Amino acid sequence: MKTYTYSLLATSIVLCGLTLVVPLRAQDSYLSEEDIFNEEVDGAANVYDPLERVNRYTFAFNDFVYLNFLQPLADGYTALTPDPVEEGASKFFYNLKYPVRLVANLLQGRLNGVWVESGRFAINSTLGIAGVMTPADNFKDFAPIKPEDIGQALGAWGIGPGPYLVLPLLGPSNLRDLGGLIGDRSVNPMKEPFSLIDDWDWEWRLALTSSEFIVTSPTLLERYQQLKGSAIDPYSSLRNGYTQFRLGAIAE
Amino acid sequence: MFDYLHNFLFASALLACSVLTAEEGQREKLQSTIDAALDVIYSDCCSELTVEDKQAIVRERIEANYDLDVIIRRAIGRNWQLMKTSEQETVLELVKKLVLKAYVDGLEGKSRPEVTLGDVTTISDTRIEIISTINLDGKTYFVLYRLGRMASGWQIYDIVAENISVVSNYRQQIDDHFRKGNAAELIARLEELLQKNDINEDIHI
Repeated sequence: MKTYTYSLLATSIVLCGLTLVVPLRAQDSYLSEEDIFNEEVDGAANVYDPLERVNRYTFAFNDFVYLNFLQPLADGYTALTPDPVEEGASKFFYNLKYPVRLVANLLQGRLNGVWVESGRFAINSTLGIAGVMTPADNFKDFAPIKPEDIGQALGAWGIGPGPYLVLPLLGPSNLRDLGGLIGDRSVNPMKEPFSLIDDWDWEWRLALTSSEFIVTSPTLLERYQQLKGSAIDPYSSLRNGYTQFRLGAIAE
Repeated sequence: MFDYLHNFLFASALLACSVLTAEEGQREKLQSTIDAALDVIYSDCCSELTVEDKQAIVRERIEANYDLDVIIRRAIGRNWQLMKTSEQETVLELVKKLVLKAYVDGLEGKSRPEVTLGDVTTISDTRIEIISTINLDGKTYFVLYRLGRMASGWQIYDIVAENISVVSNYRQQIDDHFRKGNAAELIARLEELLQKNDINEDIHI
């Protein structure tokens, strides 16, 4: 009994000591204004942009085209198409780009990515009726993963981004990602001039490419407008956003 | 000896629990702030309000728990010193209004997003991160909240949406602005942005 009383007393002293020390430590330990306000931030503070003058003109041109041509097209498509059809069309085109994701995973040695993408493609193309639906979501081993492209693979190999570029109509990029885009096109079954499917008529390819453009544009335009609406300098904001996004995608 | 050890372990566990609860408390606080802000846009009680009124109430609800100046001051960075006190106050206020306008405008007309907060990740004694999953119109997005312990309590010092840090994005824009312009021009630009009802206006180089 005596031992127990002593141990209880000792424990109470330790507990009281700790409960006094911890709040004191917590009060002492906080971030100062200097720490939080003037700290360097991660990401894309110094994007190499030697072509800024030209890029800004291309950016303004793209903005004009998006708002005056693409936006009405996207609005019309959204208004006319019921949501499930819109969703199905988007999934169909995503499924069709499987070769791009496959090659990008292979180039990075991501065997799990190769397995998941191949499994999803097989399931969605068959049970999902050419990818319009995604029954692969119901298989635990084939849950969706983040899409890879060849630009990301080049980044994962340690190739730097090079100068920032704004491509006419296509928007933000950089020299590495432009190389990746050419690689993507060479393995994308829909795209000219490197299409793997040689016996397709150009009319079919054009129809598919245009459809893909219309199907994907509402989402892209919505994101673009959100970014633009809250930007002090939309060009600078998009350059930073694109660079951070790509850095994150490569790091993953 | 066994009794002592037993009591000591009990005391340690109690202490660990109290520290964990403090961090978990931040998760609850963040969740309730997000829910309260979303209620303004989506609940029936506020459906009659104008967009401006909604922005004001969203601001009120966020500021009840967090100091918005922290994230904006961090976005301004060292450019803060390039402004006079009156300009600093004006810029803070205008950026705050701009961000809230973008938030409310961006959600208006859409279905209510489902926001689920993940576990609290402790980075250091003074920094924690909380990941959230947002389901909006059938799509899933990831948003990371970075919180720091300041003299005024835990404050949000950055929000990273789909790998894009809000602070880094604004810091770059403001850095770029001050390379060529001054505070008065920044204020004029912010006022111009706030007056715009339609963001679909052409870009001027």
